[in-house]
Amino acid sequence: MSSHHRKLFRLPWRTSRQIDRDVDEELRFHLDMRVDALIATGLSPGVARAQALKEFGDLDDARRYIEAVDHDIEAAQRRSDIMRDLLQDIGYAFRKLRASPAFTLAAVATLALGIGANTAIFSVVNGVLLRPMPFPRPDHLVRVVFTQQGHPDASTPMDLVDNRTRATNFVGFAAIEGATANLVRDNADAERVQGVRVSANFFDVLGPRPLVGRFFLKGEDQNGAQNVAVIAEALWKRDFGGSPSVVGKTVRINSAPFMIVGVVADAQRYPAAAELWIPKRFTAEELNDGSRGARWLGLLARVKDDVPVPVASAEVTRISEAMEKQFPEVFRERRARLASLQEFLTGDVRKPLFIMLGAVAFVLLIACANVANLMLVRATTRESELAIRTALGAGRGRLVRQLVTESVILSLIGGAIGVAVAKVGMMEMLTRAPQNLPLIATASIDGTTLTVTALIALITGVVFGVLPATQVGRGDLATALRAGARGTRSRPGAHRAKRIIVVTEVALAVTLLTGAGLLLHSFRRLLAVDPGFRPEGTLSLKLALPGRTYDSTATRNFIRAMEERARSLPGVTNVGIANFIPLDGASYGFTFTIRGRPPIRSSDEPSTEVRQVSPDYFAAIGMPVLRGRGVSTADQPGTTKVLVVNQAFAKRFFQTENPVGQAIALGWGEDTTGDLREIVGVVGDVRGSALSDAPEPTVYAPIMQAPYSNLSVIVRTTRDPASLAAPLRAIVRDLDHEIPIYSVQTMATRVASSVGRERFYAMLLATFAAVALVLSAVGLYGVIAYAVSQRTHELGVRVALGATSDRISRMVIGDGLALTAVGVVIGALGSWLAGKLVGSLLFEVKAFDPVTVISVIAVLGGVAALASWLPARRAARIDPLIAMRGD
Amino acid sequence: MATEPLDLLQGTLDVLVLRTLAWGSMHGYAVSRWIHQRTDGVLEIEDAPLYKALHRLERAGYVAAEWGLSENNRRARYYSLTLAGRRQLKAEETVWRQYAAAVFKVLEPT
Repeated sequence: MSSHHRKLFRLPWRTSRQIDRDVDEELRFHLDMRVDALIATGLSPGVARAQALKEFGDLDDARRYIEAVDHDIEAAQRRSDIMRDLLQDIGYAFRKLRASPAFTLAAVATLALGIGANTAIFSVVNGVLLRPMPFPRPDHLVRVVFTQQGHPDASTPMDLVDNRTRATNFVGFAAIEGATANLVRDNADAERVQGVRVSANFFDVLGPRPLVGRFFLKGEDQNGAQNVAVIAEALWKRDFGGSPSVVGKTVRINSAPFMIVGVVADAQRYPAAAELWIPKRFTAEELNDGSRGARWLGLLARVKDDVPVPVASAEVTRISEAMEKQFPEVFRERRARLASLQEFLTGDVRKPLFIMLGAVAFVLLIACANVANLMLVRATTRESELAIRTALGAGRGRLVRQLVTESVILSLIGGAIGVAVAKVGMMEMLTRAPQNLPLIATASIDGTTLTVTALIALITGVVFGVLPATQVGRGDLATALRAGARGTRSRPGAHRAKRIIVVTEVALAVTLLTGAGLLLHSFRRLLAVDPGFRPEGTLSLKLALPGRTYDSTATRNFIRAMEERARSLPGVTNVGIANFIPLDGASYGFTFTIRGRPPIRSSDEPSTEVRQVSPDYFAAIGMPVLRGRGVSTADQPGTTKVLVVNQAFAKRFFQTENPVGQAIALGWGEDTTGDLREIVGVVGDVRGSALSDAPEPTVYAPIMQAPYSNLSVIVRTTRDPASLAAPLRAIVRDLDHEIPIYSVQTMATRVASSVGRERFYAMLLATFAAVALVLSAVGLYGVIAYAVSQRTHELGVRVALGATSDRISRMVIGDGLALTAVGVVIGALGSWLAGKLVGSLLFEVKAFDPVTVISVIAVLGGVAALASWLPARRAARIDPLIAMRGD
Repeated sequence: MATEPLDLLQGTLDVLVLRTLAWGSMHGYAVSRWIHQRTDGVLEIEDAPLYKALHRLERAGYVAAEWGLSENNRRARYYSLTLAGRRQLKAEETVWRQYAAAVFKVLEPT
């Protein structure tokens, strides 16, 4: 047999010992032959043997050499055998997959969906949580976070000084303070820019390199230094055409001239939303022990490379303890620790994102189960084909490998299409993701995610390929071959496997549905919350008066003019102006004392949120005045200082007493005794910070008695509120073109985007659950339909014996529902876990929510009934004559 | 991988073996006897290098080996030329004839 014969009939592989034995046998044969020939010439056996060995030469050397060569040959043979088998398997798999397009399509679509969803979510998780931030040694980049009596607390300028002078394990500390700025260039409209004020060493601590120019120099954050600014790449491109000559240009920021010294790359912006960095300068009063109560700063720090972060964290904690000893009154139970910058940014999205990742993994599992099911069904119908191949000498291992090859090819194709699905899914997700999801913009499909996808696809393929493959070749060869002529009947083992798979699918679907149901239910509750104002029919916009040109009088004049002109717009019924409006994330709190109550320690003084509002504000936003009066046009600088409080304030501080007529001293005046104001009315509560948060005690002061430079304008109209945007802009531009307008939104939009995250999570999970539901319904349908087709004969007999078609379809549907019921029971355990996991994301819904559970069971039962009803209808129509003849 | 430096003898031996197998499939002993008879014992070729050459040629893909029954009914390893072996033989033969012709030209009196 020559070598190309080996291509048809592969010789069995030889072990190392067999090779050595073969070499031995070959050499012995040679010597024996030679000895016999020499004996035939008349030599004695002994002499003949000696002669033969002499003629042979170095026998041991030859044996060693030959053995080594033969091992090489064998290894090469194995490699080529494996390669050839693989190519053969792949070619064969492609032919088989082409031969059954319906199966292939179903499997590939299922897998593409499962793998695509996983890739998309993983890309988000990778971008937001896993990929390190684009700075040197990001693990040593930290925020110093404070808590006081368990509540999160900000830092004071003195915290920066304390840590800089006492801590030894740090490269540096930098202060950071939000500073939205009015940016004015020559010959251009004013622009509202997200910016921050930072210490001069901020960029040294953070570690990016300037894209153009330089960052801040030491001392540029000292009073008296020149005003300098760093801008973001995006702003540079938008406003300066990306020209390097931007360095040295002067712009006006909040009316003061600043020189641009450098540009930071968009990928390295911190905070990510910032477009402008200017040095933070502290006043002498701020750097005074008396100012330790005023906390608004953030502290960024870098731990030394050779110091473990926990060690550094312990150090700041010790410093905070020492400071408490020194200032026990203001710093009672105030503690510092370090949080990695990434953790600090993504802390509250971590859990939801991992839940999404888990959910999407469930979807993939269900997809795998479905494909495994399809493969099982196909394996049964292919039994005769496989039997023939076995009869022709294919080993069981080879058949298993063939089936696994098929499934891996399927899943790789599914994975490739899945990447396209993921791309589309990512785009959908990114457009729907709430703006405040940190780092979401950096999520993308990159090398890491593609590698993970490829791995997922491969593992998926092996997992769902091996299961059906274990069913192969178990049956009796002869039976399978004989049955082959008319299609085989499934063995109980294979059928049981299919049923187990379906039950698993249902259980997984129940788990996902419960999780999604809980989030949806909670989201509905959230939307049903009464915000305390009437958002419909209102438009809001924000503007910031440049402090340098607007003193109190100028601000009052602006407010008056703004009110008057906006009110004259057609369709406008009310114009309200306030410093902060609900749901815009602002918190503006002050301590106060109530007149006539016994004095208390300053650290025990209660605090309240404070808002400054115009007379028409309550009407414009739709807040009811419950007692007394609201703010009136008569409340002017010279008149009695007044306040309107909300219900929460009245309830908390006056219980059943009538607050109207009482007075409180707000701790915001320059005067240490506070700003004494009389309460003239009570208004309804609004959800100020979030729909899910209970209303906080709040007081409303007339804005004319306490002007503020950041203003929000709310306009109520009988027309489409969005149509007011352009005329309102025109009014502001006409009053002063250096005032930028931003955040023009209807209040309805603000309400909707305030629950953006919740909507996003609920929507994602609901999508996954819907996919899971459809997939498991398909799986159930497949199994029941297959069972019916296998039982055609039996059902025919039953019909012949008098079973009505009703009875037959009840039987089939009952079978499907029984499988579903088992799945639901098992899934109940998963649901319990799902409830525990999403529990902390829920609003006014308990982790075990009967409504959700019943809805899930109802939905699943309905879908299962439908999935079984289709095959049941076919079963009911079986003609006994045809069914039994077919046997 | 077992290798040894190619010298003139080894190259020569490979050609001889390939040429011998061109007659047909035979076992190692037969190859040895055939070469011995054809060279009238002029080339003192030991059997050890011969077997090394056979296996080396198998590894190179020039010959294929297979177990068969010998004339006295014993299991023997039979070697035959592959297609690649035939091509190799032709190439080596050409080189050898040119080489021999050149040497003769020098040796023959003009």
